[in-house]
Amino acid sequence: MTEDQIYAAIVEIISQTLDDKGLDVPEITPETEVLGDELGIDSLDLATLVSELEKKIGFDPFAKGFIEFKTVGELTKLYVR
Amino acid sequence: MRIGLDLKPGDDTALVARGEALFTRGDIRARADDLSAAITERGVSRVLVRSDDSALILEAIDACDRAGADLFIAHTTIAQDRIDAICAEHGIGLVLNGERDWRSATPSPSESRIYMMTSGTTGMPKVAAHSLQSLLAKAKAGVKRRPDQGGRWVLTYQPTGFAGIQVSLTAALWGGLLITPAERTMSGFYHVSRHWNGTHISGTPTFWRSFLMVADPAQLSLQQITLGGEAADQPTLDRIRKAFPDTRVTHTYASTEAGVVYAVHDGLEGFPAAWLEAAPSGVALRIKDGFLQIKTPNMMSGYLSAASQPLLDDGWLATADLVELAGDRVKVLGRDDNTINVGGSKVYPLPVEALILKQDGVIEARVYGQPNPVTGALVAADVVLEDGADEKAARKAILIACREALPAYSVPRSLNFVDKIAVSAANKKG
Repeated sequence: MTEDQIYAAIVEIISQTLDDKGLDVPEITPETEVLGDELGIDSLDLATLVSELEKKIGFDPFAKGFIEFKTVGELTKLYVR
Repeated sequence: MRIGLDLKPGDDTALVARGEALFTRGDIRARADDLSAAITERGVSRVLVRSDDSALILEAIDACDRAGADLFIAHTTIAQDRIDAICAEHGIGLVLNGERDWRSATPSPSESRIYMMTSGTTGMPKVAAHSLQSLLAKAKAGVKRRPDQGGRWVLTYQPTGFAGIQVSLTAALWGGLLITPAERTMSGFYHVSRHWNGTHISGTPTFWRSFLMVADPAQLSLQQITLGGEAADQPTLDRIRKAFPDTRVTHTYASTEAGVVYAVHDGLEGFPAAWLEAAPSGVALRIKDGFLQIKTPNMMSGYLSAASQPLLDDGWLATADLVELAGDRVKVLGRDDNTINVGGSKVYPLPVEALILKQDGVIEARVYGQPNPVTGALVAADVVLEDGADEKAARKAILIACREALPAYSVPRSLNFVDKIAVSAANKKG
């Protein structure tokens, strides 16, 4: 997958999660903080996001332990190989 | 000597912060006086509080203690019909959840005990009895260092759970401030930690992994970081150390039955093997068939229903935690029962399986934990459908049913439709 495709997949999953929770989906940019105020994402949603990305992309950058990131853009980069 | 919360009338020392609002010790004492008088006047011997409002919980603890009534502390996730059943079963005459809901009940002998519950969202919750005296003694003993006295504690645990109550009592006993967010989100926790200058934060490893993603360590003045609820792993301990190099970091092992068993301060996962010979604070630890067994001076008074950790004949408590002796360290490997630990919250697979099996077209289901880098585990389910059943419709029905009946951490995050589920020789799934 290209970086753009990975980014699109992340935005799609986040949007779906917010929609499932009955929350508004704000505009998401690479600078949006995943656990920040703008999105109503909690640890459990983040865990689900990471698990779905592994299924979709076929590898888990966190396999050897959690890696710190803040923004959607930073998360995207972790999946680029 | 008998100890109580020691809230003095008119004391304007802050005790609970909720969002940007502040409640003083005197405020809570005044409310508890009023509540205590009402309990005595009505002759109620057992009270139940079901609220995430820590100021109300402390008010109820203080009022019941002084009125000599038992207090049941219920999670807000327990459904109303179960609350009604608990009230009927235990003779509870007052339910507090923002209002005073008086009920007719035959008074029973009471001794200022505190009853805490498991989440019980898909069955009757288990109720464990503690004496307030022993909870306060534990909270008192838990603070040995001067900087912890008058600390500003950020409450990250569920306010109605064992860990949440311990943090609340500790703040109350030591003249500290209990900081609770308006919204229990990571940015909510970060906001109140900064706003009220929090000095002490205790949370699960999952909390810490997420908190570090929103928090700027330089904006916080933390003196004590504590990890509990799940086994603390080395990478998470290392990340916390890196972010807060000058803060004391402690990880604890606790259970509802035994309270805090041990606390480790050296930043390494597990505990020193030397503690198998002699552990601090009168606790005894041993390994039996790979499992950790414990003995503590402050064991709870007893379960009203089946215990999750059996007390052995020789007075030791058997845990389901598998441990490994590695050199001079004992490491906690994880639980060897079916319990799934999702970020510190326990999920029992059976009730979730039962709920899935109730849905149209489902003939078999297996619920299990799937390892996850953020929360340690997530709930996953394998589901077998009848021939010709519509997968998409079944997925939707299962998720809707689970979201309605279960707390968010129990809802399967991964649903896989499979042809069959393997059954072992012992007729166990999976």
